[in-house]
Amino acid sequence: MQARDLTGPAIAFVVIVAVVVGGAAVMPLVTGGDTPEVTNLAERQTDLDAVRVDPAEESGEISMDSDASSKTILVDRAHGNQLSEEKLSTLTATLVENGHEVRFVTQEQARGGAWNQSLRNADALLVANPGQPYTPEQLAGVREFNEAGGRVVLLSDPASSSGASAVTSLLGLSVQQPASGGPGLSSSLGVAARSGYLFNMHEYQHNFESVYATSGSGSLSQGVDRVVFHDARAVTSDRGQTALSAIERTRLSTTRRADTYAVAAQSGDAAIVGDTDFLAPTNAYVADNEAFVGNLADFLVSGQKTSNAPSPPSPAQGESAPSAPSRPVPTA
Amino acid sequence: MKRKPSAASAKALFVVALAAAVLVSAVLAPVAYDYGSSAQSDGTVSVITISGTVSATTVDGISEDLREARTNESVKAVVLKVDSGGGAVAPSERLYLEVLRTAEQMPVVASVQGTGASGAYYGMLPADEIFVLSSTQIGSVGVIGSGGSVPYPDSVIRTGPDKAQPTTDQRERTVESLKRQFVGRVMEHRGENITLSREEVAYARTYLGPEAVQNGYADRIGALPTAIDHAAELAGMENYDVARQEPPSSLGLIFLASQTDNGTKIYKQSAQTNGLVPVTEPLMVDEIAHHDPGVTANASA
Repeated sequence: MQARDLTGPAIAFVVIVAVVVGGAAVMPLVTGGDTPEVTNLAERQTDLDAVRVDPAEESGEISMDSDASSKTILVDRAHGNQLSEEKLSTLTATLVENGHEVRFVTQEQARGGAWNQSLRNADALLVANPGQPYTPEQLAGVREFNEAGGRVVLLSDPASSSGASAVTSLLGLSVQQPASGGPGLSSSLGVAARSGYLFNMHEYQHNFESVYATSGSGSLSQGVDRVVFHDARAVTSDRGQTALSAIERTRLSTTRRADTYAVAAQSGDAAIVGDTDFLAPTNAYVADNEAFVGNLADFLVSGQKTSNAPSPPSPAQGESAPSAPSRPVPTA
Repeated sequence: MKRKPSAASAKALFVVALAAAVLVSAVLAPVAYDYGSSAQSDGTVSVITISGTVSATTVDGISEDLREARTNESVKAVVLKVDSGGGAVAPSERLYLEVLRTAEQMPVVASVQGTGASGAYYGMLPADEIFVLSSTQIGSVGVIGSGGSVPYPDSVIRTGPDKAQPTTDQRERTVESLKRQFVGRVMEHRGENITLSREEVAYARTYLGPEAVQNGYADRIGALPTAIDHAAELAGMENYDVARQEPPSSLGLIFLASQTDNGTKIYKQSAQTNGLVPVTEPLMVDEIAHHDPGVTANASA
């Protein structure tokens, strides 16, 4: 075969390839690129101001106004009390810095007559989230202690077991029950634990469970405008005064009803707060929490307790409690 | 004598031509049929499935389907076939933006099957209309995430106190911000129809189909064919084709049972969301940015 015979096909090959490849390259230029216009939808759909959540401002110092000195505050650690060292430290540090003594009662130190002995040597009692019931003797001791002017502060979270209700009912304070619970349940232990938490979907600090409470009356609310409670419990006081009430449109989780819910109440020498989170170091300085913590410390040391209360057992009775095994209170 | 061979070759040629004609017809007939039917059709309704947990991987696939629908000139409308209880936050927002981009170009109709909650509801918000069934669960406009992270041992070196360990307060602010974004977009897109207040929406309740139609979470009761037909109608098509885009089967899920205070809950371990996800509850999980998957696993708990 001669080279001349291949020339024709070769030219045809080159021309065809050139036309096809060249055409493919030119076609987009002719038809124009079809890159769509890209709108920044994410930016358009985001309202930066609406989604910005500012940190809560923390300010102030926890200070005490009381000029009382060297009072002894007893902290109940004998009834399965659920309160972290972190939270407790906010209050104990304040008390100790102001020259007061904080003592802890362990389970061993609360057996039999030892509980009343501890109370006799103390000026105030702090009970937080008791998980175990009190014996009738222990309750009688607390009542006598309180009637003698001994200050009692009860802190109660929604989740805590209602060992608290035994103490509160004695002192004229109580943890609020759901309205649907019906009569008679105030004396029942199991029901109180179902009382639920407070929430506010309208105005809150960062989370619907962090409710604001404004001041009412009594020494606990002095200098307080607004306090933030997290996962708080509604409390009532039948003969005392409401120290702090959750703001309008606050609801109870179990009933979903909006009402005026007290979160801190005061009844003579006893006080109850339906929360412990306000004591956490991260919460203690937001809003007016620091003022409330100071007021609580002041409340603990401002009692005028008569000495020797609860009274020691008469010699005839002896310290009989150890020999007669104490039983938990069945109903309260 | 000369005619004979020529007659034979003509006959052979005739047979070859016949065979070739049959072959060519067999190849071209379906093309011609398609052409004929597409000439009658005004366009295509693309049915895109959103099912299972909304994760980065599933949204990648759905985004591809939506992009295909936007660029394919024959696709005139999109129907989202939804059956999902949500998933991670960022993929849910991505899904929302992709659906929004599509809805700005053509009618988009959502057809919720069993569940269209949380992140899945977020994704379908830009749809022109939402169809539900009487048994559909829809809503759950909210975010869930862990409140903090596990403290690090001293053996781990970090460069700052907040590195991979946000405080509870920071987590609350993050989750609150994500909630506001979600609720805000619900109010924006469902605004004219919704009878609930922003506050009521933020309760994050899940509604049953009929109630959802009444309160404006959804528009109408109707099954998938109705939704497809309605999408075609919105696109002005009388005769239309339907193209179904099914997601790749999601294998590799390990089901775990874990004991909680309320009893046994079923969680699924998903490689896609990189964590444990409760199966039964509508979710919009916000995970902590973290390099250790062992710790992020608590994000959905």
